[in-house]
Amino acid sequence: MAEFKSLLKAIQAVVWKDLIAEWRSREMISSMLVFALLVIIIFNFALELSIATRENVTAGVLWVTFTFAGTLGLNRSMAVEKDRGCLDGLLLAPVDRSAIYFGKMTSNFFFILFVAAIVLPVYSILYNINLIRFDLILVILLGAFGYVSIGTLLASMAVQARTRDILLPVLLFPVVIPLVIAAVKASAGYLQGFEAAEIQPWINIILVFDVIFTAIAFMVFDYVVEE
Amino acid sequence: MEKKPVLLTVLDVLTAAVFILASGMVFLYAPMEAVMGWVQKVFYFHVSAGWVGMLGFLVAAVAGIAYLRSKHQKWDDVGVAGVEIGLIFMLINIITGAIWARPIWNTWWTWDPRLTTATIMELVYAAYLMLRSGIDDSEKRARFGAIYAIIGFASVPLTFASIRLFRTIHPVVIGSSDPSAVGAFDMSARMSQTFFFSLFAFSILFADLLWHRIRLSKLEEQVDQLKMELYQ
Amino acid sequence: MVGPADTYSYMIAGYVVIFGVILAYLGSLVVRWRSLQREKTMLEQIEEKDMGTDH
Repeated sequence: MAEFKSLLKAIQAVVWKDLIAEWRSREMISSMLVFALLVIIIFNFALELSIATRENVTAGVLWVTFTFAGTLGLNRSMAVEKDRGCLDGLLLAPVDRSAIYFGKMTSNFFFILFVAAIVLPVYSILYNINLIRFDLILVILLGAFGYVSIGTLLASMAVQARTRDILLPVLLFPVVIPLVIAAVKASAGYLQGFEAAEIQPWINIILVFDVIFTAIAFMVFDYVVEE
Repeated sequence: MEKKPVLLTVLDVLTAAVFILASGMVFLYAPMEAVMGWVQKVFYFHVSAGWVGMLGFLVAAVAGIAYLRSKHQKWDDVGVAGVEIGLIFMLINIITGAIWARPIWNTWWTWDPRLTTATIMELVYAAYLMLRSGIDDSEKRARFGAIYAIIGFASVPLTFASIRLFRTIHPVVIGSSDPSAVGAFDMSARMSQTFFFSLFAFSILFADLLWHRIRLSKLEEQVDQLKMELYQ
Repeated sequence: MVGPADTYSYMIAGYVVIFGVILAYLGSLVVRWRSLQREKTMLEQIEEKDMGTDH
């Protein structure tokens, strides 16, 4: 039990470090936000979000935005560790390696949620469609969780390669497709008022994805950071 | 490099023989399908290629686990070979799938769950090779390759399930309410025999190519070793 | 009875792809093997010369 508590404290320390560091510079959050808002505006012209088609397409636009802005955040979050040598410092600490993984994953989770918290109201205002609803937020929470669980792991590998910036999307997107499909369909289902029974299979896929890939990432993270 | 093992030469001969036999069965033994005609004969090697593709990726995932646990270089060699061969045969599967679809559905691409999953897998394993080529340290390359091979393979069932579920709701090709049937047909006894023998022939071919590709890796390692010694 | 559709050319295309890609891959294996062998013999020769002049 004591071990678990120390693990939690270590995770909390990592998360806190990331949040405070980001708060001081606000580099990552601001670029994620600007990027997300730009994507939404571009979509308006690219897809002609007329009132009729809007409802069909909103879920897709939202998740494309999150997916792409998410890669920015993941890349930056892990690059910072590597470039400033923080990772070595973390590894020297007498704490389970998994604390580093869960810590980074949690802070990445918060960053994506922060972006979502800005994007949802802005989108609602720009396109006159109410996105601040509990069911949609639930899908975003579950989806973002799966995304950062596998994304953090892949980012920690990609950042150590020469081709680091282009590599993360190339590694991440094919693997995360089931999550994105399910998140889009579940979001669209809620927005268009489908019955719960119709939406449930998609939620199930998201849940299974979350469990499987968090487990895999947790088991495998040691091998990524070992020296 | 040690001399080529006799067993490998035997395997080469066996592979060639079995493959010729399978081709013969497809063209001379299996009957013509009543509706689709000649193009149906592509089916035997199309599915077999897909099977080898999956086999290659499975071998890579298992080799990945074995590498992480033992750190023996040989498992990395097996993994790379599995991915490379898997990529080649999955590509054959995808292209022949389109060729088969065209005369039947009058479109090159039907977003069929199996073919779409195959394409996504192809991208996953192309990413695997990109990951490896971006890392200079051979030990790290092997480690990361192993990890991604495992992750890539783990994503396959969910990818297939989600696309299948998507397609039951959005049939793309008019008339196809069953998302799993790209040109379904009933197989007669001779067709079944040809089909299973093709699977067998391709499996032997896979083993043969795998062995050859692993030998290539070993030769590569010898060359790298020499370079290191000379330019120390 | 209408008879089966005339899909002969598609089958030919399919088999061209199957055999073509397999042969291309075999070819690439052969080419890579030979080039590595050449490199190996060259490096071994250099190593011998090095040993000769060092001792």
